[in-house]
Amino acid sequence: MGGDAVRVDTIVAAATPPGRGAVAVVRVSGPDALPFTCALVPVWRSQGTGPSARRATLALLRDPHHDAALDRGLITFFPGPASYTGEDLVEIGVHGSPLLVELLVEALVGLGARRAAHGEFTRRAYLNGKLDLIRAEGVADLIEADSEAAHQVAVHQVEGGLSHRLNEIRSQLLEVEALVMHHVDFPDEDDPPVPLSRILEAAQRVERRLEALLASAPEGELLREGASVVLAGRPNAGKSSLYNALLGEERAIVTAEAGTTRDALEARLSIGGFPFRLVDTAGLRTQARGIERYGIEVAERYLGGADVILLCLSASWSWGEEEEEFLRRWGRNTPLVRVRTQVDTVGAQQVPDWVVEPGTGPVASVSVRTGEGLGQLRGILKDLAFRGIAAKDPAAPVLTRRRQREAVARARDLILGFQGALAGGIPAEAAILDVREAEGALGELVGSVVTDDVLDQVFRRFCIGK
Amino acid sequence: MMANFDVIVVGGGHAGVEAASAASRLGCRTLLITPDLERVGQMSCNPAIGGVAKGVVAREVDALGGVMGRATDASRIHFKMLNVSRGPAVWGPRAQCDRGLYTRAVRRILDEHQGLELLQGVVSGLLVQEGRVQGVTTRAGEVLGAGRVVVTAGTFLRGRIHRGSAEGIGAGREGEPASVELARALEELGLEVGRFKTGTPPRVDGRTVQYDRLERQDGDPEDYRFSAYVREELPPQRPCWITWTGSELKEVVQENLLRSAVYGGELAGKGPRYCPSIEDKIVRFPENPRHQVFLEPEGLHTHEIYLNGLSTSLPPEVQRTFIAGIPGLEQARVTRLGYAIEYDYFPPHQLRHTLEVRGIGGLYFAGQINGTTGYEEAAGQGIVAGFNAGLAAQGRGPFVLERDEAYLGVLVDDLVTKGVDEPYRLFTSRAEFRLLLRQDNAVERLGPMALDLGVLSESQSGELGAEMARRQAVREWLRKSRLAPDTVNPVLVELGSSPVSGPISARELVARPEVPVGALAGISPDAPDLTGDSAAAVAVHVRYGGYVERERARAAKLRKEARFKLGEELPYEAFLTLSWEARVKLDRIKPDHLAQASRIPGVSPADLQNLILEVRRWRGGGSQRKEAREKESSSSTLPVPRLP
Ligand SMILES: Nc1nc2c(ncn2[C@@H]2O[C@H](COP(=O)(O)OP(=O)(O)OP(=O)(O)O)[C@@H](O)[C@H]2O)c(=O)[nH]1
Ligand SMILES: [Mg+2]
Repeated sequence: MGGDAVRVDTIVAAATPPGRGAVAVVRVSGPDALPFTCALVPVWRSQGTGPSARRATLALLRDPHHDAALDRGLITFFPGPASYTGEDLVEIGVHGSPLLVELLVEALVGLGARRAAHGEFTRRAYLNGKLDLIRAEGVADLIEADSEAAHQVAVHQVEGGLSHRLNEIRSQLLEVEALVMHHVDFPDEDDPPVPLSRILEAAQRVERRLEALLASAPEGELLREGASVVLAGRPNAGKSSLYNALLGEERAIVTAEAGTTRDALEARLSIGGFPFRLVDTAGLRTQARGIERYGIEVAERYLGGADVILLCLSASWSWGEEEEEFLRRWGRNTPLVRVRTQVDTVGAQQVPDWVVEPGTGPVASVSVRTGEGLGQLRGILKDLAFRGIAAKDPAAPVLTRRRQREAVARARDLILGFQGALAGGIPAEAAILDVREAEGALGELVGSVVTDDVLDQVFRRFCIGK
Repeated sequence: MMANFDVIVVGGGHAGVEAASAASRLGCRTLLITPDLERVGQMSCNPAIGGVAKGVVAREVDALGGVMGRATDASRIHFKMLNVSRGPAVWGPRAQCDRGLYTRAVRRILDEHQGLELLQGVVSGLLVQEGRVQGVTTRAGEVLGAGRVVVTAGTFLRGRIHRGSAEGIGAGREGEPASVELARALEELGLEVGRFKTGTPPRVDGRTVQYDRLERQDGDPEDYRFSAYVREELPPQRPCWITWTGSELKEVVQENLLRSAVYGGELAGKGPRYCPSIEDKIVRFPENPRHQVFLEPEGLHTHEIYLNGLSTSLPPEVQRTFIAGIPGLEQARVTRLGYAIEYDYFPPHQLRHTLEVRGIGGLYFAGQINGTTGYEEAAGQGIVAGFNAGLAAQGRGPFVLERDEAYLGVLVDDLVTKGVDEPYRLFTSRAEFRLLLRQDNAVERLGPMALDLGVLSESQSGELGAEMARRQAVREWLRKSRLAPDTVNPVLVELGSSPVSGPISARELVARPEVPVGALAGISPDAPDLTGDSAAAVAVHVRYGGYVERERARAAKLRKEARFKLGEELPYEAFLTLSWEARVKLDRIKPDHLAQASRIPGVSPADLQNLILEVRRWRGGGSQRKEAREKESSSSTLPVPRLP
């Protein structure tokens, strides 16, 4: 990206996804957005008029080069700087035909517009001061969100919740610096010097706020990626059946034969408004060979990255050495739910010992036949993966990206370094360097101090037209 | 036309003195012209040099071979190191001086200069031809030629003194006429003019002060010296005294507020926030029951006392009334009344980093004319302008200090890059590399530069070499020494520091906050002298742990940025990817490089990004650029509809 992306030329792209639909919208932004649009409308071109600002106007569009009619379009002109990009921006709504959209874009390119690169509209908005980096990231998240919770977090981020919190912390850091520097510069004034304890307290306050933000990061990142839930267990335990039941459609093949599933299957789903990635795997057994062995390796890779593991065991089977082995290997670091499957095949009174054994995590009893226990299992999943966020004020800021987490962690470490330095007898006016660097780390995060790398990293995640 | 001098310096205040000294030490034929030769280097306000940050500047000026440090040493009658309760990076040496001794020392030092002529006279005009300065004219009708002119007119440009709400009196300072012609001449060159104000407090007869009611403050007993090169004879010290204003003064000031020049609306110029008048303090901090007043002796042979903290523009009778309400001053007789002074300054964004005025070759500005306050700030600019004027006269390259090299670098860069919106004073907080810019290492930082410039006398150069060698010896020893536990432990125990179990380097010991380097004196036969200032200066580095190194690393990063050159030829108005504000500011300030651009208020990080791209593209070849232009103009032939 880099050079071309910020040249002030006029850019164009479809703002709606490719494919057929009721309507499609083409966006044009840049100094020539208006003249290019007017050139497509014969009446405006001949009379030297154009659309009113911020009002949708219906007009017949023609490609001036091929002199061919395109469609009747709904044109809205947003003069800069009060537009999304901060430049003159035109949105042209036409019928949702991929061919028509392509012809329209081509006509604009013929007039001198350039096809926009990934995320270029939002990048321009950022460069023109319409958004900070965090809010721009929120825009990307908002577009990608496929669960209510992820959507909520993204909306608050776009609205500036996280930016606001980060800027608050930045000004607290500047206050700490001011506390340190004030008496250095004015030793003779009426007020006595600020005691070290007050400076430390202020630093600790900042540290606590940074910690609180950091605590939101693991779940915040899960919100974007979806929590990975891996189904495991012996062959024929009913994993694929449960997979289908949770998704609500027949995605995986189910047979009465053991060893049906050979490869891992992955699908996204939303449970209680939270995003999940559900993974069905090959049944685990110790004496596996050939392709089955390979399937187990794949399963183990998924288990290694799982956020929650569902260890499935038919209600009619007893807990064996395999399950114990599995618990030892995977149950240590990852939340694990023991799932009794096929409970419709056994009597309600037949509850095995392992279910009541305390201290080994939640147990769910389900039947895909009767639907029994599926709701409970969903509740357990939501709780295990998103307990922190679900309990939180939905408007509380959340870190949703590694970039954010790393910058906040760096700021936190620097503040800890500052406190340690003061305790170790380093003079405050030297140690304050840590505070200033912490402020710089957060500034870079919000985008008031940036390098081109950071920018590219952020904007690469956008698709065209956003 | 006649070029009688290489450099003419207009004005004999602190800036003028250093500029004249600097230019003549380069070997230039230099003229200093000032209205009253008896008042060269006059302290028009507080008779004190130094303080936090300012003290470092005084030492930097000295390290460059300047006048201020020596004159201060030769006249100081009360010395205090400020901020000793903090780390040594922010120590601020401050000296009260005998006003008369100071000016006499300045005159004596100037008279030592070869090739420097002094002339009493009032400059009334500048000779400028085709954008280059040619010389000056005087009120007496003389025409003096020079290719470089440094103007250091202080508060004299259309100066007006105010005391009470009556219309002020034209004056450069109490008892001296203002300079109206020169102000007009400069304005006619098309320069932007602004107006600032500053103030001075009343003085009283010390014989009428009841000292037994005051708190006494003695100077530090050590013989601190500002000058690294020349050992002037130090006069004896005198105590200062502290008293506090109370509710009585508060009432008097509040009742008469509208009679003050400032609050009565007579005075429009902007004053410094950090050097508030007593009226300002009462208005802005009404909850503060009392304010400190320092009684500072004006000299060894005068009874006059300067009332630091009572700067005011109230009418005479009000000043007298509120003074009589201050403990210890009930009977005090006023010798001089306080006043506010309003004067012209030329917003310094019109200057280059050499302090040369943009667009007028050979004309330099230094001191209060650039919107600064303070003797040290003035002297610092004076030496920078003097060197640059002299170097340019000799066809040599400019002398520009970076922000990580000296407070002088911070000062000049702040002025030129950020401009001023109130009288500018240096603070520690203005320097982002304050751990590097200390009073104790000024000579190490700037001495070698002075040597390169060739502005140190033989004996000064010798002193510099010896000092650098002393420090190097201490540095080496600290690093290499291995001290046995039985030799160091007794010392450590005495200092309340934990004993060691194995051999240890002196460096590690000095890193402990509770172990001053001097305490290790005599601990090892091969140790250099550890008791003096040289050793203490080296130890400061160790004391700050890795922080000094981290600052150095940051400075290096800044320098890398500084290598991305901008330049005066860039057409900022055509860089449409920049915000409007950034285009205007960049065009006005014309930064030399990216790092400077990044310090301009109103230029955002996004603007900087785009600036790099624009400059690369602009430099990428004129032909491409022309094509782009043509393309732009062809696209604008499309009908541009009028908006309803
Ligand atoms: N009655 C009843 N049968 C079930 C239930 N769940 C699964 N089954 C049956 O159990 C058998 C195995 O089911 P799968 O879902 O293929 O089992 P799996 O664990 O995926 O097996 P592999 O892929 O071979 O490892 C099939 O015949 C299912 O119809 C249930 O809840 N009730
Ligand atoms: Mg299966």
